[in-house]
Amino acid sequence: MAKVQDAPSLEEDAEERRLIDRSAAGDQEAFRQLVLRYHRLVINVAFRALGELALAEDVAQDVFIKVYKALPSYRHDKPFKHWLHRVAANAVTDALRRRRPVVSLDGMEQPPASRDADPQDIATRHDLQRAVRHAIASLPSHYRDTIALQAFGELSYDEIAKTLDIPLGTVMSRLNGAKKLLRERLGSIAHPEEEANTA
Amino acid sequence: MLSHTTTRDWLIPYADGMLAVDERRRIDGHIAGCAACAAELREVRELNLLLVTLPPAPPVAFAPFWLNLQAVLPQRRVLRIPRFPNYRRVGLALAAATVAVLVAAGSALAAPSALPDNPLYPVKQLEEGVKLTFTPTNDRLTLQLQFASERLREARAMVNDHKPLLAANSLRAFSVTIDDSAAALKNPANPKTAKAAVQALRQELADIEQANAARADDDADVKQLVLAASDELDRIEGTDAVTPQPPVVVGVQSTPQPTPQPTPKPKPSESDGRKPSGDR
Repeated sequence: MAKVQDAPSLEEDAEERRLIDRSAAGDQEAFRQLVLRYHRLVINVAFRALGELALAEDVAQDVFIKVYKALPSYRHDKPFKHWLHRVAANAVTDALRRRRPVVSLDGMEQPPASRDADPQDIATRHDLQRAVRHAIASLPSHYRDTIALQAFGELSYDEIAKTLDIPLGTVMSRLNGAKKLLRERLGSIAHPEEEANTA
Repeated sequence: MLSHTTTRDWLIPYADGMLAVDERRRIDGHIAGCAACAAELREVRELNLLLVTLPPAPPVAFAPFWLNLQAVLPQRRVLRIPRFPNYRRVGLALAAATVAVLVAAGSALAAPSALPDNPLYPVKQLEEGVKLTFTPTNDRLTLQLQFASERLREARAMVNDHKPLLAANSLRAFSVTIDDSAAALKNPANPKTAKAAVQALRQELADIEQANAARADDDADVKQLVLAASDELDRIEGTDAVTPQPPVVVGVQSTPQPTPQPTPKPKPSESDGRKPSGDR
């Protein structure tokens, strides 16, 4: 699992704090610099969740509008990046739930993608990814929010705990529950041959 | 050896590398002899692989992203220098300006002392913005320090009035003002006056901190912002002290290593015939 960058240095932290305070006071140039720092991160989270660039950009814009509106009430009691991750995760899971599944369940029941660059395999992999996104969207909210931070935000257990303000043990238990449910819901897709044998 | 049920419960954190070494060993021991758990572990890993291989977005150009975003950002108390209007609209603009001037004139007397919870507060902000815009650069620092002090007066009043959000806003505006004036503050035209003004600001910050701490419902955000503002003042003053400006020497820049300038020797008085000692 890739980890987000280490904590910023004190100097970067002070600079970021200045940008945040100036943005909160309505300075759009300061906000532009904040967006410049984090737009890639937010677009990546949205793209992993939604799989379409145009949609991901729209959701990323919504995230930054929410952030801009909420900045005056932002307290520097947790890193800005963690706060941003939380806003982004909420926005993408909302978008994911609102979105109708692109692939029908019949269409998703295909063998897993191999590593070959065969067009059919690529299509299958895309379908699997869509199935995973759809399955995540269907989880109960506390599972969904937690696994979204891992799968879409690429956060570690520790970072998820800090982002959601919950103990590490709770993160473990939620991810455990979320992945068990995901396996149940995706089981027939990832292992069609076993399904066929038991049928 | 672990039970079958316990092992299955721990397979997910095991696959995520979240277990301690001894726990891992115990699960390894169980899996080595349990085909069902080994198969389940494979499934868990396949799911993890699916989750971590969701691809990142292709590169996105920042400029159009920002332009689209900027177009829909809500405006918030931003003072802008008005654009010169089209000639066709000059009449309309003049009429609007006349109305604005009349309204402004009516409220101008009351506005300078308005607090953030006063409806005239935006007029006060507008006035300050206009004043600052039309003040010559050399005189701007005095005005900025005056506005900074005013922000602190507002913050203190808001703290006393149980309005921590408005107090926090004033403290943020204070930081922005100080940040804007940092360069001028490091090299002021009148260092003594500037130092006294900064000292007064420090005192006002201390008063706000005290007023906030004295409240039963003291606000953490206000406390944090006061500390940050004090740090900002330290930073501005501290940088000055740590990195003194080198003296400007005109006409010797082309020399790779400037020739040491002879230091004027004090004229020895008739009564002082000693050699200067080297141990300073």
